[in-house]
Order: sequence, then structure tokens, then C-alpha cells
Amino acid sequence: MPTMRLPIRSLALLLAVALPLSAQKPATLHISLDKEVAGREPKQFLPMVGSWVIAKEGARKVLFIDGRAWKRGQPAGGLADKARAIYGARNEEFIESIKAFAYFPIAVAKGVDDFRDGDISVRFQMLGGSLDRCAGILFNVKPNGDYLTVRFNGTEDNVVLWTFNNGTRKFVKRGTENVPLELGTWHTLRISVHGTQLQGFLDDRLLLEHTLTEPVSGKVGVWSKTDSMVEFSDFTVTR
Amino acid sequence: MKRALIALVMAATPAFAQRGMCRVDSSAAWAKRQRSMYSELGAAPTDSALRRSLLRAAGLTDLHPIAFELGVHVAGDAGAPSASDSSMVAQLVKLASTRGSTWPTRSVVGSYGTHSIWRLAQRDTAVGRAVLKRMMEAGPDESAAVDVATLEDRMRLAWGRKQLYGTQFLRSPEGRLSLAPMEDSAHADLRRGEAGLPPFRLSLCLSKLASGR
Repeated sequence: MPTMRLPIRSLALLLAVALPLSAQKPATLHISLDKEVAGREPKQFLPMVGSWVIAKEGARKVLFIDGRAWKRGQPAGGLADKARAIYGARNEEFIESIKAFAYFPIAVAKGVDDFRDGDISVRFQMLGGSLDRCAGILFNVKPNGDYLTVRFNGTEDNVVLWTFNNGTRKFVKRGTENVPLELGTWHTLRISVHGTQLQGFLDDRLLLEHTLTEPVSGKVGVWSKTDSMVEFSDFTVTR
Repeated sequence: MKRALIALVMAATPAFAQRGMCRVDSSAAWAKRQRSMYSELGAAPTDSALRRSLLRAAGLTDLHPIAFELGVHVAGDAGAPSASDSSMVAQLVKLASTRGSTWPTRSVVGSYGTHSIWRLAQRDTAVGRAVLKRMMEAGPDESAAVDVATLEDRMRLAWGRKQLYGTQFLRSPEGRLSLAPMEDSAHADLRRGEAGLPPFRLSLCLSKLASGR
């Protein structure tokens, strides 16, 4: 049987060319909800605060934050186990912070341990909420429960960057213009992170630019607020 | 006559009631929620004087239960603010625009007091915006969600946007009612359930009844 023998020098050259190319190719993680069970908690996301369930929207499965079940100060069921699952021994610190932020439902995406650079996008459809109608991207989630979010709020029609540090929520920057969105229509929220540079897009329109105080590093997911009823799908991370 | 009919239906007694083909079930979850929102059992409003003034200005008495909100409001039917309203409306506008002021929430003026504010806001869209913002900020324990929902619908139409809960109707010159423009009617009952409003089909049924259809 004939075999092809490459000279060692040629092989080394091939690897030298191939490796940087493959390193430059962006890796994309798209979270599919196809195998999830409607009416149950998601398996691809860990709900930490709020009532997150898989819902059917036509033939598709979507992640639904059901604000009807929202009560002040109530984290999601089994928070301790979930916190332990993602932050091990530091879970108690995480839980304390999360309880301080119980107005803000969050679900952490599985499979993204440390997002530092790239894009995160999610599609969302607002269905209701008396107090808020919020859909947000959660990122920079730290073991102590601190995090950042870029969110759209349908009661204010704007995109805003918020920080959550040591139990305190702080407004950072509002999008350049208000964009009224109709309920029951799908839209895309996207953030792009390069070093400390952050950009926020709504339906591919650049609305927010900000220089962060330090580079991003942490877990990611989806975010909402109080009694919002919002469906999410196509959560995608590109690095 | 049609206005009187709506008023009659709106004031349906807290028992099973049927008007034509429209079944108003006061034992339904939405009715229980409304009773709970408007209940003053165990409440001790901290500003009784303001509460009295609000009730007087809104023409409300706490001797009777607040009528069920059935989600059929017709543009123009609330009427213009009367002279007796104006001082209270001015007071509310001042309160709403003063940073750090104590807004008269349920703890301050009771459920009847906050419902009186809602009634005044129905008659004056200028104060409606400020009232809506304060009511939303106060949250469901301090403002009846059903009041917030109907006021939000009203204000959105005033701002040229579509309503969300389907509580606002337009009257044609012939007296027929039609639903004012609305977003996402497919999920209307999801929103209405959260707000303590009856099912959408009941409001539509009542609107047809009031139209004489």
C-alpha cells in the first residue's frame, strides 16, 4: 500500500501556517432549545433568580421569563445547588449578592465559562409586564455575584448598560436614542466586547458605546426585571 | 342610554351577572384579584386628610365597594375635569414633579385614595403621565395593577401609540364601539391576567352589547 511521506520540514511549515489560521477562526456557540421540554426549567441555562421556563412559540421552543410569578426577594428554586454548580466553594458569596438583586431575574448559560472578547446576541419578544418589560444580556458574571447587563426596557424604550456590584445597581450609560418596539414582535439584542470597548446593538443598530473600567471576564446569560414577561431564543456567543 | 348600560355593567354586583350573552363571573380569578387590590381590610392610611380630599374630588365614597373594572373605556366618556377637580389635580401634578416628595400610594391614602387618583387621571391626560409613572414605580403592593393597566392603555393612545391590554374603545358617530389600536392581541390575556383584568373576550362582548349589536 503506497503511503505519502512528507518531509519533516514541509510538515513543520504546514503546521506553522495552519495553526494561526485556525486560532483566528471565531468559535460560535449557539444554544439550541430544541431538546428542552416545554413547561420545565431549561437545561441549557441555570435560572438563578426568577421563574424561567421553556415555552412553545409556534413550532419553536423558547426561554420564557414569567414575571407573573415574580415576588419581591425570591430567588429561583434550588439557588444554593445552582450556585454551587457554577461557583463551587464560593457559592455563598454569590448567593448573598444574588439575593440583593432579587428584582432582576437572571439565567446563566451553560457551556460558557469565561467570556472575555467577542459578541453575544439573543433574540427576544416582549409579551407583557405591568412594571417592566425587560430583555437583557448578562455578562461579566463574577463568583461574588457581580455582573454587567445591557438591556432593552419596553416601558422606557431604551437600551442601557447597568453594573451590579456588591449588592448595588448602578446606571452606566443609556443608548443614543429611544426605540419603541411593539409587543409580540421579535428583535435582536447584541453586545460586542473587545478589550474594554463595549458596543450595544438593537436589531443591528449601534445604540451604545462605552469604555469599561476593566476587561470583561466571566459567565454570561440572560437578564430581566421584576414582572417582565419576555421570550428569548437564539442565544449565541461568538469568540 | 348606551353610556348608562356600560355604567350598569361596570357596576355589576359582586355576584354572577349576565348581560345579554356576556357572562360576568365575579368568582373568577380576575374578580378575586380586583377585590384583593381594592380591599382596605387592615389598612391604616397615613394621610387621612389627603385621602378624604381625593375621594371628594373624584366623587368616590368608601361606603360602597369599588365597581369591578371590566376593561371597557370609551374615549371621551370620562368627561373633562370639573372645577372642583382642578385644585386636586394641581396638587397631584406638583407632588409628581417634586423630587423626593411622598407620592400618595396605598399605604398613604388607601386603595380608595389611589383609585381616586386614577379616576382624576382619567379626566385629565396632562396629569395622567405623571400619575402613571408614579404608580408604576410604586409597584403592585402600592398601586392597583388593574388601574395601572387601564391608565397605561389610555396614555399610550394619547401619545399616539397602540394600547397593550385592550381596554380602550372608540365610539363611531353611530354609537358603535370599536377597539382602539392595540399591540400583540395574541397575548392580550397573558397581560390582562397579570393585571387582574377579565378575559379579553368579555370586554369585547360588553363593547358589542354597548354598541347595541
